[in-house]
Amino acid sequence: MKLSEIVQLLNCETLNSVDDSNPEIASVGAADLMSDVLAFGGPGMILVTGLNSPQCVRTASVVGASAVLIIRKRNVPETTIELAKELQMPLLHARMSMYKACGILFEKQISDALEEGKQID
Amino acid sequence: MLSRKGSRLTERNVDDLLEKLRGLFSDITAKDIMVTNIISLTKDRTMWQAKELMRICKISGVPIVDNDNHLLGLVSIEDIILALEGNHITDPIEKHMTKDLITFAPDVDLEGLIERFNRYRYGRFPVVDSEGRLLGIISKKDIIGAILDKFRIIYVHDARRKEVLERNVDWFDRSLISGDYVEKKSADFLFHIDYTEVDMAGVGSAKLKSYLKTRTDDDSLVRRVSIACYEAEVNVVIHSGSEGYIYAWYDESVIRVRVEDYGKGIENVEQAMKEGFSTASDHVRELGFGAGMGLPNMHRYSDKMVVVSEARKGVVVEMNFYRNGRK
Ligand SMILES: Nc1ncnc2c1ncn2[C@@H]1O[C@H](COP(=O)(O)OP(=O)(O)O)[C@@H](O)[C@H]1O
Ligand SMILES: [Mg+2]
Repeated sequence: MKLSEIVQLLNCETLNSVDDSNPEIASVGAADLMSDVLAFGGPGMILVTGLNSPQCVRTASVVGASAVLIIRKRNVPETTIELAKELQMPLLHARMSMYKACGILFEKQISDALEEGKQID
Repeated sequence: MLSRKGSRLTERNVDDLLEKLRGLFSDITAKDIMVTNIISLTKDRTMWQAKELMRICKISGVPIVDNDNHLLGLVSIEDIILALEGNHITDPIEKHMTKDLITFAPDVDLEGLIERFNRYRYGRFPVVDSEGRLLGIISKKDIIGAILDKFRIIYVHDARRKEVLERNVDWFDRSLISGDYVEKKSADFLFHIDYTEVDMAGVGSAKLKSYLKTRTDDDSLVRRVSIACYEAEVNVVIHSGSEGYIYAWYDESVIRVRVEDYGKGIENVEQAMKEGFSTASDHVRELGFGAGMGLPNMHRYSDKMVVVSEARKGVVVEMNFYRNGRK
């Protein structure tokens, strides 16, 4: 799914440039624990998180995630936005609850980045 | 160390070696090794459905169970080929599955497993409980994986650590992995962790990541290194109460990373390595850290890892990442 579609779906505020050059979003990882993101996150993932510190952007960047969506928080600190620019990480902000945001994305059947593989072999 | 001095392995020391290894692995049983998230089918499905499932999930066999998960049979690739050739691919599975199965009990030990794999020569075996309910599947690959895992854990927890501590050399000057003197000035990358704000944790690892990107296109290798280094850096900031350094050496075949601090140290490394173990404060948790997954994540993403620490003597974490995966 295109990032711009997610922006529309969740009525997001875009905090840095989001356009068609952004990579496709293949999975959603919802987490507030950065270690979870480090354990399971990866390329193609949009990180949906209730944290708004620069840390969430840095963590997303380290695992090679494709975008960060900050949920619910009233505002996103300037330091977080600055870092997202520096690391070229698309940064979105939606004022809805985590439950609702994830519900909407789940309905679109995007896969769950934090769920472990379910195959033998 | 096996035959370090170049001597050949004689029959006698092979026996000795096997005896030693037997001790190390005696606590591994089928239940520890088996894969438990299994895709199974019921017998009323068709062979065609089994074939599709195997194709989509890229598996080479499907266990067939009843509603209580009792194992009834197995459909293998061979069964599928026979069904295709005999034109009965649309029949229910029940008619064509393999029914006489060799199964393992969950408590068969490693020796027993290897013996059975040699005796029956199938690629995989189901593990069932005493009532015949399917618990898991074991393939040869799982056995090898379990042995390698064990080696890596032993490596981390015992061998080197003990040796390093017992020799009582100053581990701040030695490679924990190779034992060689480390020339820190020769590091290709150096970062001084001289801040204490949790908000900044990861700055050094992000820099290391940018540096590595200038050296290689292997994104997944860079990703593994950055993640593991990030966890180590975060630990220095949230736990050590001191400063620290990140060193990295870039080589064609291996990237070596060493993160060290001079802080309060870890009293029980074994315990700290456990998933979920954490002494982090609530404040740190609110910032998204302190899940107790840091050291386990480093272990997971690196190919070799050694942690050496003592209370009040700081922590040294050394990790090797091989370009061609685990070594
Ligand atoms: N550099 C360090 N200095 C002191 N203690 C540490 C250090 N690194 C790890 N530890 C100890 O090991 C524990 C486990 O570390 P880790 O697996 O990274 O989990 P977490 O950081 O989430 O607590 C920490 O809670 C801490 O007690
Ligand atoms: Mg940690």
